[in-house]
Amino acid sequence: MPLKWVFYWKPNPGTTVNSQILAEVSQCAEAINGIKDGRWKVNLTYYKPIFRDQAAVSEIPRDFIGMSLPERPNKFYFTLKNHRIVVEADLSIQNIMEKLQSYRSRVTLVFEGVQYKLGDFQLRVGKVVPSHQETLRGIVMEVEYLPISSMEKSRQIMDDFTGIWQETLAKRSLPGQFVCTEPNFSEFGLADNYTPQHTAVQYATVMADLIASAQSVTSVRN
Amino acid sequence: MQYQPLPVSSPPPSGESRTAEAPPMQVALAMDRLSQAARLIADIRIGADSLLEALFMASQPHQSTKPLQFFAKEDASMRQHLQDLRSVGKQLEESGVINESLRARSNSWGLHMPLVCPDGAVVAYAWKRQLAGQAGASAVDRARLAFKAFTDQKRRFFPHLEDGVNGQSSESVSKRRRVSVSHEDDATDYRTLSDVLSQLEKEAPNVKVFTYDRLDWLKRAALLPASSNENPMEVVKEQSLLSLNRLGCDTVGAVSTTEVAIVELLFPSVFRAIVSLHPAGSTDPDAVAFFSPDEGGSYVHARGRSVHNVFRHITDHAAMALQYFLGFKTHTALYSTLLWICSYQTLFTEICSECGRLLSMDKQSAVLLPPVHRLYKNISVSSSKDQHPHLPSFQAYHPGCYSEETKPL
Repeated sequence: MPLKWVFYWKPNPGTTVNSQILAEVSQCAEAINGIKDGRWKVNLTYYKPIFRDQAAVSEIPRDFIGMSLPERPNKFYFTLKNHRIVVEADLSIQNIMEKLQSYRSRVTLVFEGVQYKLGDFQLRVGKVVPSHQETLRGIVMEVEYLPISSMEKSRQIMDDFTGIWQETLAKRSLPGQFVCTEPNFSEFGLADNYTPQHTAVQYATVMADLIASAQSVTSVRN
Repeated sequence: MQYQPLPVSSPPPSGESRTAEAPPMQVALAMDRLSQAARLIADIRIGADSLLEALFMASQPHQSTKPLQFFAKEDASMRQHLQDLRSVGKQLEESGVINESLRARSNSWGLHMPLVCPDGAVVAYAWKRQLAGQAGASAVDRARLAFKAFTDQKRRFFPHLEDGVNGQSSESVSKRRRVSVSHEDDATDYRTLSDVLSQLEKEAPNVKVFTYDRLDWLKRAALLPASSNENPMEVVKEQSLLSLNRLGCDTVGAVSTTEVAIVELLFPSVFRAIVSLHPAGSTDPDAVAFFSPDEGGSYVHARGRSVHNVFRHITDHAAMALQYFLGFKTHTALYSTLLWICSYQTLFTEICSECGRLLSMDKQSAVLLPPVHRLYKNISVSSSKDQHPHLPSFQAYHPGCYSEETKPL
């Protein structure tokens, strides 16, 4: 499948993300001839195990994430970031977990927004909100280049696009920028050919970075 | 009933005078004789009836000599009719009506003698038109004449097109062509498809080349994974099955070059190019198209269009390059085309020679594109006999980054 890079908005120190930034970013997409192409949505859930036995509490990882991706509507993806594990499962796994009473969701976040078509690129810009709430926790962007599936072969093109995008954004003097920390896919056992598992890993990384930056903001405040 | 034998309208011509007669006269005489023959046959039928009547009368008890006289008279006239019919028949035979001897003779002005078919039917429609001076023939004949004229013209002006009827003749035609090409150009080795492909593999080692006949390519294109394929592992298995089935057919040396109509150039993860050869087995490319290596489906062929802008632009550019190679580098057209195609392996990495960037917004189509154009003019393709063969440099440009006046593309 075509490869994509997932970015998140990193606000400048002392500022926070707000919906005005999201509006400006959407305008930028249209400025480089982007055509609105519909909406997109990703649900991401942090899971917490349900214990019968209290002794095992300390061993359970805290970063067990499950998510649904729009390009594979009947699949569900799990990541254990610190253990470098990514798994694809059927969508019914959520029912199974509920019936087994093995895990329950701790917090669910929704990434949703508008997607734009820019020639052979596809851009998705969206907000990050906790489910059933309206407080904006972050802004996320996906850049997809449709003709190629190889991470390596597309690196230069994606770098170039990122450069053009950052240039366009810079004209609007926004308090922050989009950042993409590329995870080490090979640690997760993923190859050069792009798959939904790559997307899952990128989202898990983005979440970790968002939480880390939010925590640093609160620690600065404190 | 009385029968008056009609006088023969013209004396039966002798052998010499017949050859001196023009074909329309021959046709007229033959028509006359045919109608005579028809009348004689009718007379004979009537005579046979009369004979039977005479016999019947003779069987009646109270008749004396009347039936005998009647019978004798009928017998005499019957013999006369049969004699006349024999002579007319002989004349007709000599003039080629009963058989096809006249048709086989030359100089019949394209006119056809009426033919008496074995079941008695006379194909005579042509006659009236012919005698009226019209270049006429029956519908079947007209169609036959037209088809013959067409195939003659086709053979004359398009000698490389197959006749389609005889596989042997088409093979010999294409072999003749190949030999003539080599006489004209001894410098290069690009006479046959195998030569071209083996030379290409030396110059561009990263490319994967496959050859197919047309039907095989259609099957393979349908099996190619579409980019939304869910399970890449299944697709890999299918592809390996397909390649197993084609064991022995993929290597350049083993391919039967008289049937190859499609050449596939695959640069994994970069692009797939399909080149069509016409006629099959020749070294004449007639179409080329570029696709993403992830594209699959029956639209993936040498005249298809990719869903991606970048490959559509390249396909359009390739059409012009192909015309250039066919027009100005006819002897090495296929090799030049394939080599030029291989220059696109740097599609996503090589910057534009003019603006120095990789991605640039194309003004015409309003999309971001890498340099999708490659120089194709004024490039010399070195032969294998050169001491230092080198890959000619096909410089990369964005569509808007060069001008025809300063830099000829």
